[in-house]
Amino acid sequence: MWGILGIITVAAIIFGIDGPKLIQQGHKKEMWIFSILLCIGTGLGIALVRRIDLPSPVDWIEALYRIF
Amino acid sequence: MDNVKISIRQFTILVILFTIGTAILIIPAPIALIAKQDAWISALMGIGMGVLLMLLYSALGSQYPGLTLVEMNERLLGKWIGKIVSLGFLYFAFITSSELLYFVGDFLATQIMPDSPLPSLNVLFAVILLMGVRLGLEVFARAAEILFPLCILLFLILVIFIVPEIDIKNMKPMFNAGATNIIQAGMMFTSVASVPVVSMLMIGPVCVNEPQKIRKAFVMGTLIGGIFLFIVIILTVLVLGADFTARQAYPSYVLAKRVNVGHFLQRIEAIVAIMWIITIYFRMMIYYYSAVVGIAQIFKIKDYRSLTLPLGFIAVIFSLIIHPNEAHSIHYNERYWPMFASTFGIFLPLLLLVVSFYRNKMAGKGNA
Repeated sequence: MWGILGIITVAAIIFGIDGPKLIQQGHKKEMWIFSILLCIGTGLGIALVRRIDLPSPVDWIEALYRIF
Repeated sequence: MDNVKISIRQFTILVILFTIGTAILIIPAPIALIAKQDAWISALMGIGMGVLLMLLYSALGSQYPGLTLVEMNERLLGKWIGKIVSLGFLYFAFITSSELLYFVGDFLATQIMPDSPLPSLNVLFAVILLMGVRLGLEVFARAAEILFPLCILLFLILVIFIVPEIDIKNMKPMFNAGATNIIQAGMMFTSVASVPVVSMLMIGPVCVNEPQKIRKAFVMGTLIGGIFLFIVIILTVLVLGADFTARQAYPSYVLAKRVNVGHFLQRIEAIVAIMWIITIYFRMMIYYYSAVVGIAQIFKIKDYRSLTLPLGFIAVIFSLIIHPNEAHSIHYNERYWPMFASTFGIFLPLLLLVVSFYRNKMAGKGNA
Protein backbone atom coordinates (compact mmCIF):
# COMPACT_ATOMS: atom_id res chain seq x y z
CA MET A 1 0.00 0.00 0.00
CA TRP A 2 2.58 2.49 1.09
CA GLY A 3 4.98 1.39 -1.57
CA ILE A 4 2.50 2.06 -4.32
CA LEU A 5 1.66 5.42 -2.81
CA GLY A 6 5.35 6.20 -2.69
CA ILE A 7 5.87 5.39 -6.34
CA ILE A 8 2.87 7.43 -7.38
CA THR A 9 4.13 10.31 -5.27
CA VAL A 10 7.48 10.19 -7.03
CA ALA A 11 5.76 10.10 -10.40
CA ALA A 12 3.62 13.05 -9.39
CA ILE A 13 6.67 14.99 -8.27
CA ILE A 14 8.42 14.30 -11.55
CA PHE A 15 5.36 15.44 -13.42
CA GLY A 16 5.14 18.49 -11.21
CA ILE A 17 8.71 19.49 -11.91
CA ASP A 18 8.59 19.25 -15.66
CA GLY A 19 4.96 18.94 -16.66
CA PRO A 20 3.61 22.48 -16.37
CA LYS A 21 6.47 23.87 -18.41
CA LEU A 22 5.81 21.39 -21.17
CA ILE A 23 2.09 22.05 -21.15
CA GLN A 24 2.72 25.78 -21.30
CA GLN A 25 5.03 25.46 -24.23
CA GLY A 26 2.56 23.20 -25.94
CA HIS A 27 5.12 20.89 -27.48
CA LYS A 28 2.93 17.92 -28.21
CA LYS A 29 5.67 15.45 -29.02
CA GLU A 30 7.60 16.22 -25.85
CA MET A 31 4.46 15.87 -23.74
CA TRP A 32 3.71 12.50 -25.27
CA ILE A 33 7.14 11.03 -24.83
CA PHE A 34 7.51 12.47 -21.36
CA SER A 35 4.18 10.99 -20.31
CA ILE A 36 4.82 7.62 -21.90
CA LEU A 37 8.19 7.34 -20.22
CA LEU A 38 6.72 8.43 -16.93
CA CYS A 39 3.98 5.83 -17.20
CA ILE A 40 6.49 3.11 -18.00
CA GLY A 41 8.51 4.19 -15.01
CA THR A 42 5.51 4.24 -12.72
CA GLY A 43 4.39 0.82 -13.92
CA LEU A 44 7.81 -0.67 -13.37
CA GLY A 45 8.04 1.02 -10.01
CA ILE A 46 4.78 -0.43 -8.83
CA ALA A 47 5.82 -3.87 -10.04
CA LEU A 48 9.08 -3.50 -8.16
CA VAL A 49 7.40 -2.46 -4.94
CA ARG A 50 4.92 -5.29 -5.16
CA ARG A 51 7.88 -7.64 -5.51
CA ILE A 52 6.69 -8.92 -8.83
CA ASP A 53 9.49 -10.79 -10.55
CA LEU A 54 10.69 -8.54 -13.31
CA PRO A 55 13.01 -9.87 -15.99
CA SER A 56 16.40 -8.23 -15.97
CA PRO A 57 16.90 -5.82 -18.87
CA VAL A 58 19.97 -7.73 -19.85
CA ASP A 59 18.11 -11.00 -20.21
CA TRP A 60 17.30 -10.49 -23.80
CA ILE A 61 20.74 -9.12 -24.57
CA GLU A 62 22.05 -12.43 -23.33
CA ALA A 63 19.49 -14.29 -25.43
CA LEU A 64 20.53 -12.30 -28.49
CA TYR A 65 24.24 -12.73 -28.09
CA ARG A 66 24.03 -16.36 -27.13
CA ILE A 67 23.99 -17.08 -30.83
CA PHE A 68 27.69 -16.31 -30.99
CA MET B 1 20.90 20.44 -29.80
CA ASP B 2 21.30 23.69 -27.98
CA ASN B 3 24.69 25.13 -28.57
CA VAL B 4 26.72 23.88 -25.68
CA LYS B 5 30.40 24.24 -26.08
CA ILE B 6 33.09 22.70 -24.01
CA SER B 7 36.81 23.18 -24.33
CA ILE B 8 39.18 20.56 -25.67
CA ARG B 9 40.76 20.34 -22.25
CA GLN B 10 37.43 19.55 -20.65
CA PHE B 11 36.76 16.94 -23.30
CA THR B 12 40.13 15.31 -22.70
CA ILE B 13 39.49 15.21 -18.98
CA LEU B 14 36.12 13.62 -19.62
CA VAL B 15 37.79 10.96 -21.76
CA ILE B 16 40.34 10.32 -19.02
CA LEU B 17 37.72 10.00 -16.31
CA PHE B 18 35.57 7.87 -18.55
CA THR B 19 38.44 5.52 -19.37
CA ILE B 20 39.41 5.13 -15.73
CA GLY B 21 35.75 4.83 -14.77
CA THR B 22 34.87 1.47 -13.41
CA ALA B 23 37.99 -0.07 -14.89
CA ILE B 24 40.14 1.07 -12.05
CA LEU B 25 38.12 -0.96 -9.59
CA ILE B 26 37.23 -4.06 -11.51
CA ILE B 27 39.81 -4.51 -14.22
CA PRO B 28 42.78 -5.86 -12.27
CA ALA B 29 40.96 -9.03 -11.21
CA PRO B 30 39.97 -10.65 -14.51
CA ILE B 31 43.23 -9.57 -16.13
CA ALA B 32 45.31 -11.01 -13.33
CA LEU B 33 43.27 -14.18 -13.57
CA ILE B 34 44.17 -14.73 -17.20
CA ALA B 35 47.57 -13.13 -17.57
CA LYS B 36 48.73 -13.67 -14.01
CA GLN B 37 51.85 -11.71 -13.16
CA ASP B 38 52.17 -10.49 -16.74
CA ALA B 39 49.00 -8.48 -16.33
CA TRP B 40 50.97 -5.30 -16.82
CA ILE B 41 51.92 -6.39 -20.32
CA SER B 42 48.25 -6.92 -21.09
CA ALA B 43 47.56 -3.45 -19.79
CA LEU B 44 50.10 -1.96 -22.17
CA MET B 45 48.63 -3.88 -25.08
CA GLY B 46 45.18 -2.82 -24.04
CA ILE B 47 46.21 0.82 -24.04
CA GLY B 48 47.72 0.41 -27.49
CA MET B 49 44.54 -1.10 -28.86
CA GLY B 50 42.58 1.63 -27.18
CA VAL B 51 44.61 4.27 -28.99
CA LEU B 52 43.84 2.55 -32.29
CA LEU B 53 40.16 2.74 -31.45
CA MET B 54 40.51 6.42 -30.73
CA LEU B 55 41.96 6.94 -34.18
CA LEU B 56 38.87 5.25 -35.57
CA TYR B 57 36.53 7.46 -33.56
CA SER B 58 38.33 10.65 -34.40
CA ALA B 59 38.37 9.73 -38.09
CA LEU B 60 34.61 9.40 -37.91
CA GLY B 61 34.30 12.56 -35.88
CA SER B 62 36.34 14.65 -38.25
CA GLN B 63 34.40 13.41 -41.29
CA TYR B 64 31.20 14.73 -39.81
CA PRO B 65 31.93 17.49 -37.36
CA GLY B 66 28.83 18.88 -35.80
CA LEU B 67 27.03 15.54 -35.88
CA THR B 68 26.57 13.24 -32.96
CA LEU B 69 26.73 9.49 -33.36
CA VAL B 70 22.96 9.23 -33.54
CA GLU B 71 22.82 11.86 -36.27
CA MET B 72 25.61 10.12 -38.13
CA ASN B 73 23.66 6.88 -38.03
CA GLU B 74 20.70 8.52 -39.64
CA ARG B 75 22.74 10.36 -42.21
CA LEU B 76 24.79 7.38 -43.29
CA LEU B 77 22.44 4.46 -42.87
CA GLY B 78 19.21 6.07 -43.87
CA LYS B 79 16.41 7.35 -41.73
CA TRP B 80 14.84 4.13 -40.49
CA ILE B 81 17.84 1.83 -40.26
CA GLY B 82 19.75 4.68 -38.68
CA LYS B 83 17.07 5.15 -36.06
CA ILE B 84 16.94 1.46 -35.26
CA VAL B 85 20.69 1.19 -34.95
CA SER B 86 20.70 4.28 -32.78
CA LEU B 87 18.07 2.76 -30.55
CA GLY B 88 20.36 -0.21 -30.08
CA PHE B 89 23.23 2.05 -29.13
CA LEU B 90 21.04 4.09 -26.81
CA TYR B 91 19.78 0.98 -25.12
CA PHE B 92 23.40 0.02 -24.57
CA ALA B 93 24.24 3.41 -23.08
CA PHE B 94 21.12 3.49 -20.94
CA ILE B 95 21.46 -0.06 -19.61
CA THR B 96 25.13 0.45 -18.86
CA SER B 97 24.44 3.64 -16.93
CA SER B 98 21.85 1.71 -14.96
CA GLU B 99 24.37 -1.01 -14.38
CA LEU B 100 26.87 1.51 -13.08
CA LEU B 101 24.22 2.74 -10.69
CA TYR B 102 23.85 -0.83 -9.50
CA PHE B 103 27.60 -1.07 -9.26
CA VAL B 104 28.02 2.04 -7.15
CA GLY B 105 25.21 0.96 -4.85
CA ASP B 106 26.63 -2.53 -4.60
CA PHE B 107 30.15 -1.31 -3.89
CA LEU B 108 28.99 1.04 -1.18
CA ALA B 109 26.62 -1.48 0.29
CA THR B 110 29.17 -4.24 0.54
CA GLN B 111 32.29 -2.33 1.42
CA ILE B 112 31.38 0.84 3.23
CA MET B 113 27.78 1.05 4.34
CA PRO B 114 26.47 -2.49 4.67
CA ASP B 115 23.48 -1.57 6.80
CA SER B 116 21.92 0.85 4.37
CA PRO B 117 19.12 -0.50 2.18
CA LEU B 118 20.27 -0.80 -1.39
CA PRO B 119 17.40 1.07 -3.07
CA SER B 120 18.06 4.16 -1.03
CA LEU B 121 21.73 4.20 -2.01
CA ASN B 122 20.83 3.82 -5.67
CA VAL B 123 18.22 6.54 -5.48
CA LEU B 124 20.62 8.88 -3.73
CA PHE B 125 23.19 8.47 -6.44
CA ALA B 126 20.62 8.66 -9.17
CA VAL B 127 19.47 12.02 -7.83
CA ILE B 128 22.97 13.42 -8.14
CA LEU B 129 23.29 11.86 -11.58
CA LEU B 130 20.07 13.49 -12.72
CA MET B 131 21.09 16.82 -11.27
CA GLY B 132 24.33 16.69 -13.19
CA VAL B 133 22.71 15.79 -16.48
CA ARG B 134 19.88 18.28 -16.13
CA LEU B 135 22.31 21.09 -15.43
CA GLY B 136 23.89 20.27 -18.73
CA LEU B 137 27.12 19.34 -20.40
CA GLU B 138 28.93 22.60 -19.75
CA VAL B 139 28.30 22.25 -16.06
CA PHE B 140 29.45 18.72 -15.65
CA ALA B 141 32.42 19.27 -17.91
CA ARG B 142 33.47 22.07 -15.65
CA ALA B 143 32.88 19.85 -12.64
CA ALA B 144 35.16 17.26 -14.23
CA GLU B 145 37.83 19.90 -14.66
CA ILE B 146 37.60 20.80 -11.01
CA LEU B 147 37.43 17.28 -9.64
CA PHE B 148 40.17 15.87 -11.80
CA PRO B 149 43.08 17.33 -9.77
CA LEU B 150 41.45 15.87 -6.68
CA CYS B 151 41.47 12.47 -8.34
CA ILE B 152 45.12 12.85 -9.20
CA LEU B 153 45.91 13.79 -5.64
CA LEU B 154 44.04 10.85 -4.15
CA PHE B 155 45.61 8.53 -6.67
CA LEU B 156 49.09 9.77 -5.80
CA ILE B 157 48.39 9.30 -2.11
CA LEU B 158 47.48 5.70 -2.76
CA VAL B 159 50.47 5.06 -4.99
CA ILE B 160 53.08 6.74 -2.83
CA PHE B 161 52.02 5.06 0.35
CA ILE B 162 51.61 1.62 -1.11
CA VAL B 163 55.07 1.52 -2.67
CA PRO B 164 56.75 0.35 0.56
CA GLU B 165 54.60 -2.77 0.41
CA ILE B 166 55.88 -3.87 -2.96
CA ASP B 167 57.35 -7.31 -3.18
CA ILE B 168 59.20 -7.52 -6.45
CA LYS B 169 59.14 -11.30 -6.29
CA ASN B 170 55.48 -11.11 -7.23
CA MET B 171 56.42 -10.11 -10.75
CA LYS B 172 58.39 -13.22 -11.44
CA PRO B 173 58.52 -15.35 -13.42
CA MET B 174 58.01 -12.89 -16.23
CA PHE B 175 56.51 -13.61 -19.63
CA ASN B 176 55.27 -16.84 -18.28
CA ALA B 177 51.61 -16.56 -19.08
CA GLY B 178 51.76 -17.28 -22.76
CA ALA B 179 51.02 -14.92 -25.61
CA THR B 180 47.39 -15.91 -26.12
CA ASN B 181 46.52 -15.27 -22.53
CA ILE B 182 48.28 -11.94 -22.48
CA ILE B 183 46.53 -10.85 -25.65
CA GLN B 184 43.17 -12.05 -24.42
CA ALA B 185 43.59 -10.12 -21.21
CA GLY B 186 44.67 -7.11 -23.22
CA MET B 187 41.47 -7.27 -25.24
CA MET B 188 39.49 -7.47 -22.04
CA PHE B 189 41.25 -4.34 -20.87
CA THR B 190 40.37 -2.49 -24.04
CA SER B 191 36.78 -3.65 -24.01
CA VAL B 192 36.20 -2.20 -20.57
CA ALA B 193 38.37 0.88 -20.75
CA SER B 194 38.25 2.08 -24.33
CA VAL B 195 35.50 0.50 -26.37
CA PRO B 196 32.70 2.32 -24.54
CA VAL B 197 34.43 5.63 -25.31
CA VAL B 198 32.34 5.53 -28.48
CA SER B 199 29.70 7.16 -26.29
CA MET B 200 31.85 10.26 -26.32
CA LEU B 201 30.92 10.56 -29.99
CA MET B 202 27.59 11.82 -28.75
CA ILE B 203 29.44 14.71 -27.17
CA GLY B 204 32.66 15.15 -29.06
CA PRO B 205 32.26 16.43 -32.56
CA VAL B 206 29.32 18.61 -31.69
CA CYS B 207 30.23 20.36 -28.56
CA VAL B 208 33.88 21.03 -28.75
CA ASN B 209 34.93 24.46 -29.83
CA GLU B 210 37.92 23.20 -31.80
CA PRO B 211 36.78 20.08 -33.64
CA GLN B 212 40.04 19.48 -35.41
CA LYS B 213 41.81 18.85 -32.12
CA ILE B 214 39.49 16.02 -31.26
CA ARG B 215 41.90 13.32 -32.25
CA LYS B 216 44.50 14.63 -29.87
CA ALA B 217 41.92 14.76 -27.10
CA PHE B 218 40.75 11.19 -27.62
CA VAL B 219 44.28 9.80 -27.81
CA MET B 220 45.69 11.82 -24.91
CA GLY B 221 42.69 10.95 -22.83
CA THR B 222 43.14 7.25 -23.49
CA LEU B 223 46.86 7.40 -22.83
CA ILE B 224 46.55 9.26 -19.56
CA GLY B 225 43.63 7.17 -18.38
CA GLY B 226 45.60 4.13 -19.47
CA ILE B 227 48.56 5.19 -17.38
CA PHE B 228 46.38 5.38 -14.30
CA LEU B 229 45.04 1.90 -14.99
CA PHE B 230 48.47 0.52 -15.79
CA ILE B 231 49.83 1.78 -12.49
CA VAL B 232 46.94 0.26 -10.59
CA ILE B 233 47.32 -3.09 -12.32
CA ILE B 234 51.02 -3.28 -11.81
CA LEU B 235 50.69 -2.25 -8.18
CA THR B 236 48.04 -4.81 -7.42
CA VAL B 237 50.23 -7.54 -8.85
CA LEU B 238 53.35 -6.26 -7.10
CA VAL B 239 51.77 -5.81 -3.72
CA LEU B 240 49.03 -8.39 -3.57
CA GLY B 241 50.31 -10.98 -5.98
CA ALA B 242 48.54 -12.20 -9.07
CA ASP B 243 46.57 -15.01 -7.43
CA PHE B 244 45.16 -12.90 -4.66
CA THR B 245 44.32 -10.10 -7.06
CA ALA B 246 42.44 -12.48 -9.31
CA ARG B 247 40.25 -13.53 -6.43
CA GLN B 248 39.15 -10.11 -5.27
CA ALA B 249 36.09 -8.30 -6.44
CA TYR B 250 37.75 -4.92 -6.00
CA PRO B 251 41.52 -5.40 -5.95
CA SER B 252 42.43 -1.73 -5.89
CA TYR B 253 40.23 -1.26 -2.85
CA VAL B 254 42.12 -4.04 -1.10
CA LEU B 255 45.27 -2.24 -2.16
CA ALA B 256 44.12 0.88 -0.39
CA LYS B 257 43.37 -1.13 2.72
CA ARG B 258 46.95 -2.34 2.74
CA VAL B 259 48.44 1.10 3.15
CA ASN B 260 50.06 1.19 6.49
CA VAL B 261 52.70 3.83 7.10
CA GLY B 262 54.30 3.33 10.44
CA HIS B 263 51.04 1.99 11.88
CA PHE B 264 49.89 5.55 11.78
CA LEU B 265 48.53 6.24 8.33
CA GLN B 266 46.04 3.45 7.96
CA ARG B 267 42.54 2.72 6.70
CA ILE B 268 42.71 5.31 3.99
CA GLU B 269 40.51 3.25 1.73
CA ALA B 270 37.44 5.42 2.27
CA ILE B 271 39.35 8.48 1.14
CA VAL B 272 40.58 6.72 -1.94
CA ALA B 273 37.05 5.47 -2.54
CA ILE B 274 36.16 9.09 -3.15
CA MET B 275 38.32 9.02 -6.23
CA TRP B 276 36.58 5.93 -7.52
CA ILE B 277 33.17 7.34 -6.91
CA ILE B 278 34.15 10.39 -8.91
CA THR B 279 35.42 8.37 -11.87
CA ILE B 280 32.42 6.06 -11.82
CA TYR B 281 30.17 9.07 -11.65
CA PHE B 282 31.51 10.68 -14.74
CA ARG B 283 31.30 7.46 -16.64
CA MET B 284 27.70 7.06 -15.53
CA MET B 285 26.90 10.64 -16.47
CA ILE B 286 28.36 10.32 -19.91
CA TYR B 287 26.45 7.11 -20.63
CA TYR B 288 23.25 8.60 -19.33
CA TYR B 289 23.77 11.89 -21.11
CA SER B 290 24.40 10.01 -24.38
CA ALA B 291 21.22 8.02 -23.90
CA VAL B 292 19.03 11.01 -23.12
CA VAL B 293 20.43 13.26 -25.84
CA GLY B 294 20.25 10.36 -28.27
CA ILE B 295 16.59 9.71 -27.55
CA ALA B 296 15.88 13.40 -27.95
CA GLN B 297 17.60 13.37 -31.32
CA ILE B 298 15.80 10.29 -32.56
CA PHE B 299 12.43 11.84 -31.85
CA LYS B 300 13.60 15.25 -32.96
CA ILE B 301 12.95 16.88 -29.60
CA LYS B 302 14.63 20.18 -29.08
CA ASP B 303 15.41 20.07 -25.40
CA TYR B 304 16.58 16.82 -23.91
CA ARG B 305 16.14 18.12 -20.39
CA SER B 306 12.49 17.28 -20.13
CA LEU B 307 13.32 13.61 -20.64
CA THR B 308 15.93 13.35 -17.91
CA LEU B 309 13.63 12.76 -14.98
CA PRO B 310 11.31 10.08 -16.35
CA LEU B 311 14.25 8.24 -17.85
CA GLY B 312 16.05 8.58 -14.57
CA PHE B 313 13.12 7.00 -12.82
CA ILE B 314 13.31 4.04 -15.18
CA ALA B 315 17.10 3.90 -14.81
CA VAL B 316 16.86 3.57 -11.05
CA ILE B 317 14.32 0.79 -11.30
CA PHE B 318 16.46 -0.97 -13.87
CA SER B 319 19.45 -0.66 -11.58
CA LEU B 320 17.55 -2.53 -8.92
CA ILE B 321 16.46 -5.38 -11.16
CA ILE B 322 19.37 -5.63 -13.52
CA HIS B 323 21.39 -8.16 -11.54
CA PRO B 324 19.62 -10.34 -9.02
CA ASN B 325 22.95 -11.39 -7.60
CA GLU B 326 26.66 -10.94 -7.97
CA ALA B 327 27.12 -14.13 -9.97
CA HIS B 328 24.71 -12.91 -12.59
CA SER B 329 26.62 -9.65 -12.76
CA ILE B 330 29.96 -11.35 -13.20
CA HIS B 331 28.55 -13.73 -15.80
CA TYR B 332 27.02 -10.90 -17.79
CA ASN B 333 30.12 -8.73 -17.62
CA GLU B 334 32.49 -11.45 -18.65
CA ARG B 335 30.46 -13.22 -21.24
CA TYR B 336 28.07 -10.78 -22.86
CA TRP B 337 29.06 -7.23 -22.15
CA PRO B 338 32.29 -7.22 -24.21
CA MET B 339 30.36 -8.37 -27.29
CA PHE B 340 27.52 -5.98 -26.68
CA ALA B 341 29.94 -3.08 -26.22
CA SER B 342 32.01 -4.06 -29.23
CA THR B 343 28.96 -4.06 -31.48
CA PHE B 344 28.64 -0.34 -30.92
CA GLY B 345 32.21 0.47 -30.04
CA ILE B 346 34.02 -1.33 -32.82
CA PHE B 347 31.62 -2.68 -35.38
CA LEU B 348 29.34 0.31 -35.72
CA PRO B 349 32.07 2.96 -36.14
CA LEU B 350 33.83 0.76 -38.69
CA LEU B 351 30.59 0.29 -40.57
CA LEU B 352 29.91 4.02 -40.55
CA LEU B 353 33.40 4.79 -41.78
CA VAL B 354 33.11 2.27 -44.60
CA VAL B 355 29.73 3.64 -45.62
CA SER B 356 31.04 7.18 -45.55
CA PHE B 357 34.03 6.22 -47.74
CA TYR B 358 31.70 4.58 -50.18
CA ARG B 359 29.40 7.59 -50.26
CA ASN B 360 32.28 9.98 -50.81
CA LYS B 361 33.47 7.85 -53.66
CA MET B 362 30.03 7.87 -55.26
CA ALA B 363 29.80 11.60 -54.84
CA GLY B 364 33.27 11.98 -56.33
CA LYS B 365 32.30 9.94 -59.40
CA GLY B 366 29.17 12.00 -59.82
CA ASN B 367 31.13 15.22 -59.84
CA ALA B 368 33.75 13.98 -62.28
